[in-house]
Amino acid sequence: MKTAARRLGGLAAGISVWRLAMTASGVGLFLAAQPPSRLAAQVGPTQRAAGTYAITNATIVPVVGDRILRGTVVIQNGRIAAVGANVQAPADATVIDAAGLFVYPGLIDSGTQLGLTEIGSVAGGEDQLELGDFNPQDEALSAVNPASELIATVRVNGITTAITAPRGGQVSGQAALIDLFGWTRREMAVVPRAGMVMTYPRTGGGGGFGGGGGGGGAQQTPEQQRERVQREARALREYLSRARAYAEAKARGGQMESNLAMEAMVPVIRGEMPAVFDVETADQIRGVLQLADSFRLRVVLRGATYAWQLADTLAARRVPVIVGPTTSTPAATDPYDMIYANPGVLARAGVTIAFRTNSASDSRNLPYNAALSTAYGLDPDEAIRAMTINPARIWGVADRLGSIEVGKVATLIVTTGDPLDVRTTVRHMFVRGIPAPFNDRHTRMYEAWRARPRN
Amino acid sequence: MKNLGGTAGRRLSGTVARCGATLFVLCASAVARLPAQAAPAANPLAIPVPPAGRLVAITNATIMTASHGTIPRGTILIRDGRIAEVGPNVQVPAGAQVIDANGRFVTPGIIDAHSHSAAEAINEGTQSVTAEVRMEDVLRVDGISLYRQLAGGVTSALVLHGSANTIGGQSMTIKLRYGLPAESLLFAGAPPGIKFALGENVRQSNVNLQPGREPRYPRSRMGVDALLRERFTSAREYRGRWQQFRTDSAAWARARTAARRGAAILPEPMPPARDLELDALVEVIEGRRLVHAHSYRSDEINMLLDVARDFGFRVNDFTHVLEGYRVADEMAAAGSGGSTFADMWAYKLEAYDAIPHNAALMAERGVVVSINSDSDERARRLYQEAAKAMHYGGASEEEALRMITLNAARHLGVQDRTGSIDVGKDADLVIFSGHPFAPTSRVDMTLIDGRVFFDRTTAPTLEWLIQQQREQRPRPRVASEGGAR
Repeated sequence: MKTAARRLGGLAAGISVWRLAMTASGVGLFLAAQPPSRLAAQVGPTQRAAGTYAITNATIVPVVGDRILRGTVVIQNGRIAAVGANVQAPADATVIDAAGLFVYPGLIDSGTQLGLTEIGSVAGGEDQLELGDFNPQDEALSAVNPASELIATVRVNGITTAITAPRGGQVSGQAALIDLFGWTRREMAVVPRAGMVMTYPRTGGGGGFGGGGGGGGAQQTPEQQRERVQREARALREYLSRARAYAEAKARGGQMESNLAMEAMVPVIRGEMPAVFDVETADQIRGVLQLADSFRLRVVLRGATYAWQLADTLAARRVPVIVGPTTSTPAATDPYDMIYANPGVLARAGVTIAFRTNSASDSRNLPYNAALSTAYGLDPDEAIRAMTINPARIWGVADRLGSIEVGKVATLIVTTGDPLDVRTTVRHMFVRGIPAPFNDRHTRMYEAWRARPRN
Repeated sequence: MKNLGGTAGRRLSGTVARCGATLFVLCASAVARLPAQAAPAANPLAIPVPPAGRLVAITNATIMTASHGTIPRGTILIRDGRIAEVGPNVQVPAGAQVIDANGRFVTPGIIDAHSHSAAEAINEGTQSVTAEVRMEDVLRVDGISLYRQLAGGVTSALVLHGSANTIGGQSMTIKLRYGLPAESLLFAGAPPGIKFALGENVRQSNVNLQPGREPRYPRSRMGVDALLRERFTSAREYRGRWQQFRTDSAAWARARTAARRGAAILPEPMPPARDLELDALVEVIEGRRLVHAHSYRSDEINMLLDVARDFGFRVNDFTHVLEGYRVADEMAAAGSGGSTFADMWAYKLEAYDAIPHNAALMAERGVVVSINSDSDERARRLYQEAAKAMHYGGASEEEALRMITLNAARHLGVQDRTGSIDVGKDADLVIFSGHPFAPTSRVDMTLIDGRVFFDRTTAPTLEWLIQQQREQRPRPRVASEGGAR
C-alpha cells in the first residue's frame, strides 16, 4: 500500500500517453464505472470492415443449442450474419467449403500472461510483475505487446481470445480480455478492464504462483505462516475498506484529492468489475466469500484446486471458478487425479467453470488442459463451454462472443474435429470477421529448416 | 465384480475381481489404497521377478504394439512376466488369470527417457565435471510421484542427474515398481549411462550467484567444449597408463617366471592411481557407458558431436535437443538419438528457437526420437504429449506411440527387453480406457512384468474420496460456509 501510494505520488503527473489517448477518444477513466461489456463495445473493432464469407457444408457446434449438420455460417461486417442448415451463401461471399469440418466459437483462455512476457529467463522480456503489494491502477492492456511472437503460436490450436493479467502482490492489477490478433492493443482489446486480479493469502508455499504478498512461506514456521496470512488478510480487508470509503465519498460528491489506485478500485467496490481471486484451498475460498459478503464484491475464483470441497456452496452462491492449469500435480496426500477431476466435480454441482493455462507460451495447450479433465469426469460438451460461452459470461461479453449465433462477433474456428483432441487441426480462424493467419515463428522455422538440403 | 470403467460404466468380466484378489495382491491392496505411505522396508513379496509359471491373459483388447501395427481385437498372453503370445487368435490356457479389457486399448508401458524421479538429489554442483557420482547412491522410492506416474502409464524411466554440470554423473534406469524396496526398482541388465549437459545451465548464465560466491568455470560454451576435451584427454591418458600397466605387469610376470631360472628380477610395476571420475569416462570411450546429453542449440550439439568423434565415442542421445531439427542429418549420421519435449519453449533464450515440430522433423530426417518429461508432472500425461508429434509435423500414429515406448527404450538401451508388445519382451503394458491419444482417455491399469502396479478401480481417486467423506459425515449446510452473508 505504501509503495503504491509513494509511486502514485510520483506518477500523478505521469498518466500514460495511452490513457490520455483513451480519455480523448471517449473511453477514459470516467467510463470505468460502466459494465465491462459496454466499455468494450466502444473500444471494439476499429479496423476497416471485414469481408463477407460463407463457411458451407460444416458441422456447426454453436455451443448453445444443438449441432447443425451440413450447415452454413455467413460472416458479414465482422459479425455472424446467418447460421443454419438452409442458409444461402451471399453472392459476394468468399466461400469456404467445410465439408467434413467443424465450426466452433473461438476458444477463450481465461488466464494468461500473453503479451506481457517473451522469454522467461530474460529479464527484459518479463513485464508482468510490479513492485509493491497493491497495484490496482496497473492495467495489463497498457503493456500488451501485439508483436509478441507467442501470440500467433497460440492461435494455432483455436485460441482466439485470452485474459492477460499482471501477477504478484495482493492486488496485482487489472486483467484485460484481448483478441489474439490485431495490429495494436486497441484492436486486440475486447474488455480493456475485465477484472481486478487479487491473491488471497494462504499458509505454505509462499502463496503459490503469483506471489501472494509477503511470500517466503516455504522458509517460515507454521506460526510465522499463520501470522503472515492474518497480516495479509487484514491488509486486504483494510485496503478494500479504504476503497469503499473512497467510493462512497465520491458518490456523495465530496471534494477530494484524486487517487488513481483508489479510482481503479471503485468499479470493484461497486460490483461492476469482477474481483478475480487467486486461491487454492477451502480456507482461502471461505476468506474470499467473507470479503465478498462484507464488500458486496462480484467474485471470480481462479486456480481453486480444492474448490471441489465447497462445490455446492459455490454453485449456490453462483461464484464462477477459473480452473487450471490442469497440468500440475496435487499435494502428496491428495488423490492422484484431484487436479484433473476438480473441474468435473464443480461442473456437476452447477458451478460455472472456465479454463485457463496461467501461462503465455503454453496457452496453446488450453484445449488439452480441458481434455485431461474430460478423461476424469468432466462432460466433453461442458469442457467446450468452459472455453467459450462460460468465459464469455464471466467476462461480460456473452452478447458478443462464446457461441455461434446470429449477431455475435465472428470470432470462430474451422477444425478437422473436436478441439479437445490433440490430433485435430484448426484449418481456419476468423477474429472479428477477419481471417487470422497461422503463420507464426514456429511454422516459419519449421518450413525453413525442413527445406534444408539433405547432407 | 469391479468396475474398471469408472464413470464410463463399462464393466469387466468377473475374472478381474479374481485378478484383483490374486494377481495384484501386493500392488492393489498394499500400494494403490495407501499411496501416501512409505514403501515397506522389508516385504517378503518384494522380488522383482514374478513367480514362475504364472499365466495372465489380457483379452478383447485393441493392441497397439508399437512395432508391428495395431491388432483390432486381440489377446496378450503373459507367462512368467514376459509376453508369451500376442495376436487375434491366442488361446487362453486353463488356469490363466484373465483381464478382460472389453474393447479397451493396450499399449506398451510408457518409457520416460528423461526423469529425475526416485532421486534424493540430482546435482553435485561444486565442480563442473562429476562423472564419478551415481544416481543409484541416492535412489529413493517412497515418493508418491512414482505411483502417480504409474497412473499415467509410465513403467520405465531413465533417471538422470541435473544439468548444472558439464558431466553430471552416472544415470540409473528403473522400472516403476512402486511399493517394492529400492533395489527392486533398478532395471537389471540395462546398460549404464552418464549425463552430459551443454549450454545455459552449465554456464550458470541464469543463476544469480549469492554474494561472496565465486562464479564457476566454465562460463561460456567455448569453455564447456574446452573442459570436455581436457577431461577426455585426461581419460585417454589414464586409459593409456592402465594399458601400459597391464602390458608391464604381463612382462613382469614373464620376467618373474624367467627369474626362477636365474635371471634378474625387475621391480613389480605399480598400478596407476585409481580415478573414479576417469574410470567413468574410460567406459564412455570404450562404448560401455551411454552418453545422454542435455542440449538446446544446434551449435552445441555439433560441438559435442565433434568432441565425440575426436575421442572415439558415440553420443547415445541428445536430450531436450530443442534445435535438433536443425542438425538432424548430423545426428542421424553419428547414430545419435534425440529425446525432446513435445512443445515446451520460450522459457529461456536457448529455448526461443524451439518448435513443436521438432520431434516429427527429426524423425523425418532419420533420427530415433523419443518424447520425455523431465518432470514428475508431464510424466503423468506423456501419451498426450506424444500425440503432439502427429499434430505438429504429421508423424504417423505408430511413430508417435514409439516416441514414448520403443524409441525411448532404444535411448535407454533396453529395446530388447521392453518398449513394444512382442513375444519375449517383458510384459510392461498399459490398459487405456480408449485410444491413448483420444481426449477422454485415461489409464485404467498399468502392468510391469505382468504384475498390476496401478489399477484405477482400487486407486484412491477424488471421486472415491468424496464418496468417503459423504459417508463419514453429513455435508455441511450451504449457509454455514463462507461466514456471514
